[in-house]
Amino acid sequence: MNDIYTNNYKKILIIPILALIPLLFFSMISPGLKLGIELTGGNVLIIRSENELLASDIEEILTSDFDLSNVKVSTINSPNSHGAYIEYSKSEKVLATEELISNAQLLIDEEKDAESIAASVLAIKTLTGKELSFDNPKTALIAAQDELGIENEAFAKSLQTVLSQKLDLGENAEFQRREVSPTLGKASLDSGIFIVLISFIFLVIVIFISFRQLIPTVGIVQAMIYDVIAACAGMALFNIPFSLLTLSTILMVIGYSVDTDIMLTSRMLKDKEGTAGERATESMKTGLTMTGTTMAALISMLIVSYIYHIDVIFQVAIILFSGLIGDTVSTWTTNVSILMWFVERKAKK
Amino acid sequence: MNPLIKHWQFTLAGIFIIVALFSIIFYGVSLGIDFKGGTLYQIELQKEVTPAEISKITNIIQQRIDPSGLRGDVLSPVGGKYIMIQTAETNPTELEKIESRIRQQGKFEAALNGELLFTGDEIRKVQRKDGYGVSKIGTQYEWVLPFILDEKAAKTFAQKTFHQCNAISFNTQGRPIYDCERTIFFLDKPNALVIISEDQYDLDSEELNLGNNKANIPQGTSIEEVIEDSRVNVIIYDDLNGLDQETLSTVLKITDQAIISSDLAPKIANDLNAAGFIVSIIEPNESLPWIWTVLNAKQIIRLSEGITNEDVADFSQAKIFAQLSISGTRETAEIAFNDLEELAILLESGSLPTPVKSISKETISPALGKSFFNDILLMGLIALLTVAAVIVIRYKKISLAIPIFATVLSEPLILIGILSLPFIRQPLDLAAFAGIIAAIGAGVDSEIVIVDEIFGRKKKENYSLIQKLKEGLFIITTSALTIIAVMGSIVLFSRSMPGLSNLYGFAVATILGALIGVLVTRPAFTKIVEIVFEKTERKN
Repeated sequence: MNDIYTNNYKKILIIPILALIPLLFFSMISPGLKLGIELTGGNVLIIRSENELLASDIEEILTSDFDLSNVKVSTINSPNSHGAYIEYSKSEKVLATEELISNAQLLIDEEKDAESIAASVLAIKTLTGKELSFDNPKTALIAAQDELGIENEAFAKSLQTVLSQKLDLGENAEFQRREVSPTLGKASLDSGIFIVLISFIFLVIVIFISFRQLIPTVGIVQAMIYDVIAACAGMALFNIPFSLLTLSTILMVIGYSVDTDIMLTSRMLKDKEGTAGERATESMKTGLTMTGTTMAALISMLIVSYIYHIDVIFQVAIILFSGLIGDTVSTWTTNVSILMWFVERKAKK
Repeated sequence: MNPLIKHWQFTLAGIFIIVALFSIIFYGVSLGIDFKGGTLYQIELQKEVTPAEISKITNIIQQRIDPSGLRGDVLSPVGGKYIMIQTAETNPTELEKIESRIRQQGKFEAALNGELLFTGDEIRKVQRKDGYGVSKIGTQYEWVLPFILDEKAAKTFAQKTFHQCNAISFNTQGRPIYDCERTIFFLDKPNALVIISEDQYDLDSEELNLGNNKANIPQGTSIEEVIEDSRVNVIIYDDLNGLDQETLSTVLKITDQAIISSDLAPKIANDLNAAGFIVSIIEPNESLPWIWTVLNAKQIIRLSEGITNEDVADFSQAKIFAQLSISGTRETAEIAFNDLEELAILLESGSLPTPVKSISKETISPALGKSFFNDILLMGLIALLTVAAVIVIRYKKISLAIPIFATVLSEPLILIGILSLPFIRQPLDLAAFAGIIAAIGAGVDSEIVIVDEIFGRKKKENYSLIQKLKEGLFIITTSALTIIAVMGSIVLFSRSMPGLSNLYGFAVATILGALIGVLVTRPAFTKIVEIVFEKTERKN
């Protein structure tokens, strides 16, 4: 296997093109990539327990006992522990009260005392049904904020205790709570998109400066985009939402996949020994060792994180693994073909 | 000469490994809240504010949620609209307290002679324009803070301060010199029973009497006055009499919270628990009297004869001042200005100049964090063993597999060591560990490239060792540069854009990992491979 490319490099282009169809389908259409609550805003409660959890039980408790809307529960069972991932929206009452209090605050700043008092009074009424009257806007606002505090505290306390009791979670149950406001979610999404764009530009600049030739740069960049699409398809298939963590993992995919492309490009352009096909084949051996080693490590990470139920690492490993599969295809079919064509064309001149 | 000393590459790598071990052993690894447990808040303000304004808001929040700094909450502004808070707290009740302190203004009270003088609600406005500021008088700097009370409060104020100054002597022009009563300001005074040990009481009494220039406690302050003005139930505990059950049950009708000095734990804490109290044990603070911090006393302000109506005999003739002002002198303009700002914040009840729009938070319980950490270590170990196995199978040469594996091990070691150094002190969270794993992966890739450049490629036999090395070096440097380019954008913008701060640890770990690889470990590794290569050549 000294040269597998010279006679085939145009034909093998069919592989990445065919593979792109399911990849795009998975990431865009079905199951499709979803945004996590970090980027959309929302509330999440994660439970870990030694006992098995049933999604329908949890949904029932949250809607009936707590008046929460949009409850979505998914359960995760691993050999070692059981978990539930619960998304919910705050009750209408609390949302309306928060809005009113925020208004009352702004009205004090604008020195509209009467309107501010009215907003605070309405907030208290919405939350508790009590009709109070105040003559000082600050006192009214504090009273409203106190009521909201009491309500929130009662909710936070009872959410865990009621779930523990009703689901019989046992003593070692662990809770993890996350609340993200919709505005922060939107802002984080904006920063995420911004960072991806900036990173992309920086990367293209570094690669172009290193090789100082357009076609090889295009070859590396196309491979990178291909890998990201593959990583996204993997995320969609395993129902991993797009979040800041997955964003950083995708940047990691880019970093890894670029390694093999740089190695290939460097050997194709800078070496003079052997034919282009032979150099490509040699590079592939090195490249597959690189990717293979990383994949082996990822597989062991996948197994351990599945058994011990560490979602974060499981997600990272899945995304990297999908990205590296994409990289194997894009580097050793597409990018190799681009470079073979580029080197042969130069030789002819 | 021993090859280990002859080559600078080994010396350099050796130094880094020693420094890293030293750093990890002596400074320890700083773990993030993912592993320690804790809560991360992200606060969004109503509108974008200036850098000066946001650091002021950050300060106010710090003062309100962790006034004595005992819990070690870390606050940092992100851009002009967001503030991040990291706290070790995970108890839902305590978290709710923190959250309500962030959201709402505090409860300000000024007390005189054990009676309430006025509250924060009764302050119509703190004048931040007319009369507010610092001016130089002689060698000192005087600050003035004017504020306006509402009508009802102004009247009460006039009544309660009426004739609260006494002429103690006369100056050379025959005018009287007055000694006036003092008011004490409180912010967020606790609604709790406070029990202080006799020892702590004596200590505090002495400290208050000495005064504290930094905290604005004047000399000769009496502990009785502070306690009286706070109007909080304070019990001085002595072993002889123990706790009076009758007092406890009376207090219990008002509040079920109790605060005790730490030298009374655990016995008194247990007794109080049994009586139905929820007890907080507060450690003494090094710089301030215990009772001062517990009661949340903030300032002691002396009245001035100008407002106590000394010139009239009867209150019916007294003048009622709606506009009042507080002033003081300090040694430098900066200290004076700080004092002024601090007091203005206090009178505004610690309310934020720009209100909070939303609070986002994430809580991880300490037990969960601990198990995360153990799992991560186990996983790292298994991943390393897998890498080692693959390498041995691929190269079938133990003399190559050992250096690869040693390099793979030393890179995360150096990386963690550097991250733990006191002037870097990057807490390791899950994201940072992901970065370390990424660095290990990138390292393995580079080592394979180096070995294949020098050893694996038969076609390159006509190339000199130097040429082979040069190409290997080009590949690993370029790939390290791409990582730095990709992650650099996160580092650049994480302090100014919301959300990205969670990724800072990740980005720093990957960048440092790439640098360590290119500059430290891979040169040493290349040298080893060279030596191994030359030996094999000689054999042939």
